Amino acid sequence: MSERGALKLLVNTWRGRFGLAVLAISTFVAIFGTLIAPYNPEASSLDVLQAPSFSHLLGTTENGADVFSQLLVGTRVSMLVGFAAALISAVLGSLVGIASGYFGGWTDRILDSMENWFLVIPTLPLMIVLARLLNPSLTVLIVVIGLTSWAGTGRIVRSQVLTLRERAFVERARALGASDTYIIRTHILPNTLPLIFANTVLIIAVAILSEAALSFLGLGDPTRISWGTMLENAFQSGAPSAGAWWYVIPPGLAITILVLGVSLLGFVFEEYINPRLREQS
Amino acid sequence: MSRLLEVSGLRVEHRGRPIVDGVDFTLERGEALGLAGESGCGKTTTALALMKILPAGLKQAGGIILRPPGVEEQINIDRRTEAGMQVVRWRHISLVFQGAMNSLDPVQHIDTQIAEVIRLHEPGVGSKEVSARIGELLTTVGLTPALGRRYAHQLSGGQRQRVMIALALACRPSLVIADEPTTALDVVMQAQVLQLLERLREQLGLALILISHDLGVLAETCERIAVMYAGKIVETGPVGTVFAAPQHPYTKRLLDSLPVIGGTRGLATPIPGGPPDPGNPPDGCAFHPRCPYSTDRCLGDPALREVAPKQSAACHFAPWAEWPTVVPAASAVEVDG
Amino acid sequence: MSGRWLAGKVAAAVLTLVFVIIFNFFLFRVMGDPTTQLARLPRATPQEIVKLRAQYGLDKPLIGQFIDNVGDTARLDLGVSQRSREQVWDEIKAALPWTLLLVGTGTLIATLLGSWMGVVAATRRGQRTDNGFLGFSLFTYASPEYWIGIILILVFAVWLPIFPSGLQETPGVVFSGFPAQALDVAKHLVLPATAMTLMLLGQYFLIMRSSMVDVLTEDFIAVKRATGLPWGRVVRRHAVPNALLPLVTLSAIQFGAVVGGAITIETIFSWPGLGELTFQAINDKDYPVLQGTFLIFSFGVILANLAADCLYFALDPRVQSK
Repeated sequence: MSERGALKLLVNTWRGRFGLAVLAISTFVAIFGTLIAPYNPEASSLDVLQAPSFSHLLGTTENGADVFSQLLVGTRVSMLVGFAAALISAVLGSLVGIASGYFGGWTDRILDSMENWFLVIPTLPLMIVLARLLNPSLTVLIVVIGLTSWAGTGRIVRSQVLTLRERAFVERARALGASDTYIIRTHILPNTLPLIFANTVLIIAVAILSEAALSFLGLGDPTRISWGTMLENAFQSGAPSAGAWWYVIPPGLAITILVLGVSLLGFVFEEYINPRLREQS
Repeated sequence: MSRLLEVSGLRVEHRGRPIVDGVDFTLERGEALGLAGESGCGKTTTALALMKILPAGLKQAGGIILRPPGVEEQINIDRRTEAGMQVVRWRHISLVFQGAMNSLDPVQHIDTQIAEVIRLHEPGVGSKEVSARIGELLTTVGLTPALGRRYAHQLSGGQRQRVMIALALACRPSLVIADEPTTALDVVMQAQVLQLLERLREQLGLALILISHDLGVLAETCERIAVMYAGKIVETGPVGTVFAAPQHPYTKRLLDSLPVIGGTRGLATPIPGGPPDPGNPPDGCAFHPRCPYSTDRCLGDPALREVAPKQSAACHFAPWAEWPTVVPAASAVEVDG
Repeated sequence: MSGRWLAGKVAAAVLTLVFVIIFNFFLFRVMGDPTTQLARLPRATPQEIVKLRAQYGLDKPLIGQFIDNVGDTARLDLGVSQRSREQVWDEIKAALPWTLLLVGTGTLIATLLGSWMGVVAATRRGQRTDNGFLGFSLFTYASPEYWIGIILILVFAVWLPIFPSGLQETPGVVFSGFPAQALDVAKHLVLPATAMTLMLLGQYFLIMRSSMVDVLTEDFIAVKRATGLPWGRVVRRHAVPNALLPLVTLSAIQFGAVVGGAITIETIFSWPGLGELTFQAINDKDYPVLQGTFLIFSFGVILANLAADCLYFALDPRVQSK
């Protein structure tokens, strides 16, 4: 994989540019959101459910807090959970995929049926059960999402490793007496990494959506504001029926744009690895 | 005999570049014409143009007139609209596609697919007659009618090719174009399919355009032959005459490259160099960069003209009384491995 | 032979289900030990707890408990809801039809509409319709379905009060007959089913589009066109049936998402199905109900996967002869 080719694809396509821009802005807001927020996002006031004005750009919540400030501050949780959970999922998926593809035999049979099981079982109910049994916190969210979303990566890595294992350079290394760890480190992993990377980018998007859904269902970290908890609070306080569009639309739109941006980046990487996809679009 | 097909000045362009560049030929009823040439010379494109089924992006021009027996007026294919062509296709001209392995719908029974074309072009035919016709067609091509209840994947390559021929005959057309009908088959199967085509032509009186890169295949089946190079016909004439005394260096080289079983020539001599980039042929005679006899004259366009009785060639030096034995070394510019 | 292929699929489904039951049992026993729950009962004396433990069979060894659990599950005895004190299975039984109605309507419309859009886009590749559909499906892919549900409420229940914003029927109304009730339910179904459809539409569209794009380049499509078949009929009779095959397999992947959508969308619209039941159980920490809905959701998805396999089997003659 030549980095320059991937970079070209990122900069020269509108999808790549859009994704990069969204990622850059979101990262900035995630880091400095607390500093640029005009109000304390949790400070309540008597201006309850106010429509947008110059003092409150996106109006106020049911407690009179500033929606815009909450939106800025909430970016951090979405990004953090998305990236951290995707990282766990990538590590788990790669480990399982490489082990099952490289060693084959019973290892493969057991790990592969585990993957199958996780692929079939509906993810959200599984996450709900796990998150409910543990007590909601940021760590729990990250671990639960990471633990339940690795199977797809595992499946893809496994099939890549299966083809790599038969390739001449691996066979040669094995014939020369190289150890399994050596072969995996020097031959298998470097050739699988681009695939893992592209897949992980797509998992980030899924993880962001999962965090939002869990938080929306009341399984988020109660001490932190995220876009999901904003939607939960808005819904629970009856903001939709009150017509408080300024409270309801921004968090969902923020999720949509971030997920869209990250997904588009993932698609660009995926296309780069598998040029057949390019002909389809 | 009477004239069935008249093609004049047929051109096919891709983004302004000619793939087929001014092809003229005629075909009598019941005649078999062989279209020869290396891949990329425009044979298949010519076939598709005759039915007006070129892929999007290719534009065709030039006269194509069909006079099927039993039809009062001649059919001006070049002036027909898409809807107008739909009643001509398969009813009057059918095509056995190259690579028939994937030419059948994988999720429909064979007989359903044959019945579809019969019903399409002859809506009045009852279902009993349709199934009788299908059985007859399958028998004609040497298959048992029971095979009709099968799917494509349940047939062998040879059986599929026969089904494609049966499909081509389904509406009793007066012209069948067969595009490399034997390339994907083994030698025994090749011979069988060729014999089948020959027999059917005699029995049904249909005209045949057989497209092949293999002159041996054409020699067995065809009466007349047209050799194409870079989108143009460079030589045409009766098979016997052309094979005995080719009048274009390209034909000569093609014939030389035929392996002769039990012959004295031993190994076949391949033509040096590759066919020119389709749509971007060299100036003048397109063959001159690969021609061992080329001179400065070859930079001028050679016309296809009659050089012997019934035999035409597009070579400045035709007719060739005899072929020079010494091959000038300088002209063999590139020899690919 | 064909019978073995199907038998294999059934066996795999049963095995998956067995693992769900094992997982479910140990997860809730290990992480949500009912005794800790019981210990939280405010006025429970140690004697009462011992009694309760015996009553629930918690004094037996773990394996014994598990065997009991499997037996109970087989008899549809899923325990008692901690909130309502009703049998969990009864609650599930009451909620299931509502979920099936919502999920069925949404999936049906999404499949039909998505396939149609896929066919249209694939035959007009790169044109405005294609690009429009692609953009739309990307948007619905990226946006949370419950947020779309909230927007639907905002637009069609608050700003333009056309449809009710929640529940399955108008409360407190005595219906004159079944047609009147059905009409009322249908009115309540419109918004949640639309949210469900929008959630699934993009994926079905993308699958169908790429499948059609592949099929349209196949040789047999060119042959069918050469036979004089009008293009529309080539697409309908030959391209679409072949393109539907991958749609059937790939849509099986969607079943998990369908269940996820059922939970959030039912929550938004207070639709009294399994999703709403799950949401209540989350808030009340009602473990038996949570366990029961997880089981039934998994069972549903496994069953739907099996059904998709069977459908594929019926549609593709190439599988049958393998």
